[in-house]
Amino acid sequence: MPKLEVFDPALCCSTGVCGVDVDPALAQFAADLKWLEAHGVTVERYNLGQNPAAFATNPRVLALLQQGNDRLPAVFLDGELLASGAYPDRHALAAKLGLTDVSATDAPASGTCCAAQPAAGQGKSCC
Amino acid sequence: MNLPTIDTRYLFFTGKGGVGKTSLSCATGLSLSQRGKKVLIVSTDPASNLSEVLGTPVGHTPTPIAEAPGLFALDLDPRAAAAAYRERMVAPYRGILPEAAIQSMEEQFSGACTVEIAAFDEFARLLADSAATAGFDHIIFDTAPTGHTLRLLTLPSAWDEFIASAPGGASCLGPLAGLQQQRERYAATVARLGNPAETTLVLVSRPERAALREAERTRVELTELGIRNLRLVINGLFADETGDDAIAHAMAERHAAALATIPPGLAALPQSTLPFLPRGTTGLAGLQQLLDGTSPNTCRPVTLPEVTDLPPGLSAFIDELARQDHGVVLTMGKGGVGKTSVAAAIALALAERGKKVTLSTTDPAAHLADALAGETAGLTVTRIDPAAELARYTAEVLEQKGKDLTPEARAMLEEDLHSPCTEEIAVFRAFAHTVAGGTSGFVVLDTAPTGHTILLLDATEAYHREVLRTQGDLPEAVRELLPRLRDPDFTHVCIVTLPESTPVSEAEALEADLERAGIHPFGWVINQSLLASSTRHPCLAERAAYELPFIRRVQQHTRGRCVLIPWLAREPVGRDGLRRLVETEEKSHCCATA
Repeated sequence: MPKLEVFDPALCCSTGVCGVDVDPALAQFAADLKWLEAHGVTVERYNLGQNPAAFATNPRVLALLQQGNDRLPAVFLDGELLASGAYPDRHALAAKLGLTDVSATDAPASGTCCAAQPAAGQGKSCC
Repeated sequence: MNLPTIDTRYLFFTGKGGVGKTSLSCATGLSLSQRGKKVLIVSTDPASNLSEVLGTPVGHTPTPIAEAPGLFALDLDPRAAAAAYRERMVAPYRGILPEAAIQSMEEQFSGACTVEIAAFDEFARLLADSAATAGFDHIIFDTAPTGHTLRLLTLPSAWDEFIASAPGGASCLGPLAGLQQQRERYAATVARLGNPAETTLVLVSRPERAALREAERTRVELTELGIRNLRLVINGLFADETGDDAIAHAMAERHAAALATIPPGLAALPQSTLPFLPRGTTGLAGLQQLLDGTSPNTCRPVTLPEVTDLPPGLSAFIDELARQDHGVVLTMGKGGVGKTSVAAAIALALAERGKKVTLSTTDPAAHLADALAGETAGLTVTRIDPAAELARYTAEVLEQKGKDLTPEARAMLEEDLHSPCTEEIAVFRAFAHTVAGGTSGFVVLDTAPTGHTILLLDATEAYHREVLRTQGDLPEAVRELLPRLRDPDFTHVCIVTLPESTPVSEAEALEADLERAGIHPFGWVINQSLLASSTRHPCLAERAAYELPFIRRVQQHTRGRCVLIPWLAREPVGRDGLRRLVETEEKSHCCATA
């Protein structure tokens, strides 16, 4: 079973609603991960603000962090770096995983494109 | 002494600021300790005055009170608790994760929501964790002013419901995520609050209509939360109708009238009444007098000294404000000092001078409608209602941010918007928008009680930092809030206090907090002064004499930037009442002599 690991910047929550401004890309990505799980992918998600141990004990993530907070989010597929500094969209994830059934995705491309450009050093502060 | 009989291990005092919760909880604690019980008094108020009332510096761990064997006290400063929680979460990673990563983690734990949650966690720890309070026969909570108290008390059921109902389980618990494993503790807290064999809750009220209405509101909310073991204490009843002093008559009549129209729900509670005390109750000796009943009604005729150069009336501030045509006026202070009335009086006076004025309140116990019955040209009254703001904000986010999402993504966003943090953000935004209105007219806000206000300002500070590096489409009002609050030509903060020991100390602490946030008050308003009221009744004159050092302290502290409003024989309700708050110069310049 393929395993997807997501290392998020310090977020208060997976959709970012606690921040001063809600980023719809975060909600879309969270939904995409659910979709992957429904297709048999194991998803593990770590948030710098809440699961710092996962960052501190992973040399590859630590190396990315040394380059700057803007290297987050980092997405690994079975240990291989899939994306860094941006969330991949559902199509990209599906392609990498060899999933052909993207029919469930009625996600307009724009919804996830935004995710490709998180502001440098962005961390949604929780309330 | 007529304090309620307590047979439960947990005891809560709740009521508006200044009604005497701290004195009553300390007197109750002292009384229980003298009967051989081991008692812990806990304050969850960010502006706690436990140390002052007990006459011993009280720390963040149970502090023994030297002169009272068996009596311990503890200050739960939610800000300190939040800082400790933050450090607990971050410290293990210093030197392991890069400094920038550490900073972004710390940012997560710096907001108001973290403070609230950390406070709740401490509170839950004492209520649910037997080890933390082992050995104590009674634990008495001298809770924060009503708004904050309710937030604190509402949280257990809010969280309980939230944690149980979040279908994904990975919802927006924010900083609470680190505490999620303590769910059992929260469940135990909820159970304990609602168990009449374990918990008694004492509603404390002054014998005044507004205060009793507030107590009734609290009673209803607590009852809805399943907390039904309630008592009522009427504190400070003045009943002497002998003599011909107009102020004494008015006070006795007002108290009697308030008690005659006490809401039926309150009247049905077991009730205790404590008499008017001419002096504040501070120090163990004062508490002992309260217990012994030696202090009440031992008013002796006092000769008030000839008092000159008292501060001017509120119109001095109005004159200064009216030189401008726009800006923000914030009345701040502890609950019960009269922020709402002062704000309404300022708003009305400015409107009557032809200014365009919006009067707005964030006070959950909004009684502005009462204070300002009827319409006035140029004056608009609005309210920041947390529930309404939450609904509006949620709808706005779903419409604007949710429109391009897949249905399941939208559902997740909607689920996360149920987070308790969202209300804080919604209220914060509403506050920012209201303040922004000060660019095109006057906006007068009576803010929520001090504890909440401090948290609000903390949030402002945290947001300010966040805003500087967020590039989203933030409303201009939010971006500009803190710079506006810091601009003395734009924002005029009036600190409202009473001429008594605790309220003045609290106001000084509030001012220090504001200064730390870079906000410099415009001036102070000393409200409800008996000294300025020209009373000659022995009890009231004794209280009036007691006020003078506090008035002098404020005059000195503010270098004369203060005004004095007398205790009014008629309540400042309606336009005429509010006008009397402003037009009081001849009275306050007068001196009370006996």
